[in-house]
Amino acid sequence: MTSRPLSTVAFTGSSSSGKYGPRTGRIRIDRQDGTPILHTDTPALLTATSRGLVPHLSRDNVHLTQAIRHLQLPFESFLDRNPPVPTLVGGTHPLHTLLGFSPDNHIVILTLRDPSDGRKMPPNGTDFVSGQCTRGVRKVNLTAWKNYAAQCKPDLVVALSDTPFTPAPHSQKRLTKSIERSIAWLADFLRVSPADPSATQPRNVLVHLAGGIEPSARSEFAERLSEPIEQKDAPGLSPPMNTLNDGVAGYVFDLLPLHTALAADVSRSEGLASLDDDLLHASHHQRSSHETSTELAELFRASLDPLPADKLRVINSPTSPHEILRLVRDVGVDVVDGFWAQRAADIGIALDFRFPAPRHSTPEFSVKGAPPPLARKDEKLDLGHNLFDPRYRHDHARLASSFLDGKSSAELTPDSGSPLPMPVCSCHACSPHSPASRMLHSPVDVHAWADVSPSTLQPPFVRAYVHHLLHTHEMSAHSLLVMHNLTVFAAFLSGIREVLRHGDTAGDEFDREVARFEETYDERMSLWNEAERMWLEVEHARGKGRLAREKEKQAASTIGTAVDL
Amino acid sequence: MQFEVLAKCHTTRARVSRMRLAHGVTMLPTFMPVATQAAIKGLTPQQVEALGVNLILNNTYHLNLRPGIEVLKQAGGAHKFQGWNHNLLTDSGGFQLVSLSKFTKITEEGALFASPFDGEPTMLTPEESISIQHAIGADIIMQLDDVVSSLTVGPRVEEAMWRTVRWLDRCIEFHQKSGKDTVQNLFAIVQGGLEPDLRDKCLDEMIARRDKVAGYAIGGLSGGEEKDIFWRMIKQCADKLPDDRPRYSMGIGFAEDLLVCVALGVDMADCVFPTRTARFGVALTSKGPLNLRLGKHAKDMRPIEEGCPCPTCSSGMTRALLNHTATLETAAAHAITQHNLVFQARIMGGAREAIIDGTFPQYLKQFFANYFGDAGYPEWCVNALRSVGVDLLEDRPDAKVISGDGAKWEYSDAA
Ligand SMILES: [Zn+2]
Ligand SMILES: [Zn+2]
Repeated sequence: MTSRPLSTVAFTGSSSSGKYGPRTGRIRIDRQDGTPILHTDTPALLTATSRGLVPHLSRDNVHLTQAIRHLQLPFESFLDRNPPVPTLVGGTHPLHTLLGFSPDNHIVILTLRDPSDGRKMPPNGTDFVSGQCTRGVRKVNLTAWKNYAAQCKPDLVVALSDTPFTPAPHSQKRLTKSIERSIAWLADFLRVSPADPSATQPRNVLVHLAGGIEPSARSEFAERLSEPIEQKDAPGLSPPMNTLNDGVAGYVFDLLPLHTALAADVSRSEGLASLDDDLLHASHHQRSSHETSTELAELFRASLDPLPADKLRVINSPTSPHEILRLVRDVGVDVVDGFWAQRAADIGIALDFRFPAPRHSTPEFSVKGAPPPLARKDEKLDLGHNLFDPRYRHDHARLASSFLDGKSSAELTPDSGSPLPMPVCSCHACSPHSPASRMLHSPVDVHAWADVSPSTLQPPFVRAYVHHLLHTHEMSAHSLLVMHNLTVFAAFLSGIREVLRHGDTAGDEFDREVARFEETYDERMSLWNEAERMWLEVEHARGKGRLAREKEKQAASTIGTAVDL
Repeated sequence: MQFEVLAKCHTTRARVSRMRLAHGVTMLPTFMPVATQAAIKGLTPQQVEALGVNLILNNTYHLNLRPGIEVLKQAGGAHKFQGWNHNLLTDSGGFQLVSLSKFTKITEEGALFASPFDGEPTMLTPEESISIQHAIGADIIMQLDDVVSSLTVGPRVEEAMWRTVRWLDRCIEFHQKSGKDTVQNLFAIVQGGLEPDLRDKCLDEMIARRDKVAGYAIGGLSGGEEKDIFWRMIKQCADKLPDDRPRYSMGIGFAEDLLVCVALGVDMADCVFPTRTARFGVALTSKGPLNLRLGKHAKDMRPIEEGCPCPTCSSGMTRALLNHTATLETAAAHAITQHNLVFQARIMGGAREAIIDGTFPQYLKQFFANYFGDAGYPEWCVNALRSVGVDLLEDRPDAKVISGDGAKWEYSDAA
């Protein structure tokens, strides 16, 4: 394979509190192919995809949603054909071309497995990983993955690593094997064929930090990354790469298997019945807490201790904004995947929260009459609205109380220059614009559109409408909710960056705001349990009484599939 | 309503008109996508507008159940509720009562049915139907009619026809007294089954009321009757209906049906077919429907249709990616729905253009040659178009003709 991925990824980050602590940064992607150099400020949002699509979004809606910039593309669904379809596309940006993303705006991260799909998988082998597609489980070996990456030319690519998706706990022996394999596989992935002088070292490789929930195993993996390269690995691993770590652009932390293993640990030590061991639900059993965040931060630091601070840190499948805030605060993470917000859209939740949290003392909660989320017994607010709930049947307010819709913000600021009482949600549900143009199907069609102005701000879609769409199984509900939830989630990350930008005192201010956020919003996610229950009830009422167990599992572990066509 | 015929085909009965309603101008002939529950499957109203569509249909029966009239009133009507700024048509709700509930009983007063919520006997009268449609606020509303299946024979057909006429009078009276008749336009529905003399009587009665109705629908068809009878009924009605009123053929959506109806003088049609078939992975093309789930598309890097301006094809979406995602991802259904609605709109737009240019007969021949060239022409289309002076087989002596209802498209996965 002569053409290696060419894009180079550079990350510059800064933290006022040393190696571990809240930090902002900037990702720079230079594909070296004439397309613009892309910059993104971090912490940044990574949008999840399913079968190559952002679930529920047609291409025009993907392009309308500014929150969508980085996309995570699990390759495994394409293993149903051989050779896989993305490898047949060709050109300079095969993935962008195939999937309709814009090279000028979208950054695509290629990974073999869907990091939010925790279903049990057959064991990996010495030189292959098992992936899931509609035709069943397929093995992908090291050479194949290297070739796929070379043919698909992603902006970033995750090297194969050996994460066990077999029931926890995992033996010491299994962990050792996992580390050995992951190191060997990374070395193989970074190796350039000496027979090919035109090949260049890839500069866009991400690596999972292996070791599971054993701090010692995690340290060992990281130390192996930073050891001088052994002679036997040397051919094709040329200077300036002295360590494998020199060859990677960043680190990936998959939270799903860690959460599952931690949960299994707890239930074992407390003598509880073991969790449904063939199902590692992202949504069930997995709620974040102070304790799990502390454990995760320790595990991350065990990995990062031997490693330099200047590489990108990506976390997949966090379970709450609280968890994200604590990992930002206690470790410093740069890219966060959107699975959580996208899954919420699947089950009918419209997110409604902000960072920094709104202050109750200000009148902003009542602006234009959008009721805030429910307060739970401990007075903490829900993170959004379960729009399946009958309480929304007559609620004609915009989706979020903590963001204005475009139309009311325009009415509030008639050139007065006075600041808005709260930010505006720019999503297409809250700030829809009429289309810039309409297709004309005959010359006389101009009569039809003569009086209609293009690109005009429209009133927001309201809760009662989305409630109605959910109860009538209309897919449009989920399209609107995905656009909204991704936008709210991106605003949350931008809120983090904003606070961290405040210079020397930023660390303290950030700590205070995290504490206030934790006091303001419910982390137990009661809302999620209720929404999932109502979603199932509506499914049942529809005569789909017994969802096949496989389907139920899939619906819970992968986004998009909870919604029937 | 302002209705103006702009051009007529010199050969067939086809015509181009401009229809101005409270929410803008719609050019006819046109196809109306169906937004049963106040949403076109998976799309936003802005996406529908971008496709060049400005007249859609909502179902009264469904909206009356959910979200209910109270919610629609709070929202200020169905337009505002769903964010649709353009023209809207609602049916009367009668058809769904009959097709969705086997317990519905028709009396002179109205349709008696079991409430889907509590099973209580509930009556939908002509007045009630109009009242619900007033709350919805559609630009075009339909009379409640006594619908019988097009396969029904015997005295029930005549009874239903006469009752439909009587119910029209009740709808007219209620509508006029409400004062809504300046904004909302009531259409009558011609019934009479498959019996020409009943159709004729119904037409006479309804044409006598022309000053009180804004337009006419042709009802009671496309329910499984033979296509050769279907087109004769359409022709009989379209021939007799007044020139200065729009003619609406209910439940018509296949490309060949649309073009035959347009040639016979129909201005409007609606059907769930293009959006429903999209969810099953079927895309409509000028060479016939394409089942994207078939294995043969798995590595096909072409769009659904070369040169199609729809958001799907123009974005470079390939058949291969649609094959990978159809019936598994909602976004694939959205993509095919966008394409299919543009396909329908292009057929009708092409007809408008050809009628104005005086080339509609050639347009018909070209379309049918592309669409059925390989599969064979449905005989009923040949007959129907001959009745208005267009011979599809002229210059094509070797063309295959299929008797019965025409081509059966290959929908199964043979790959
Ligand atoms: Zn929004
Ligand atoms: Zn198209």
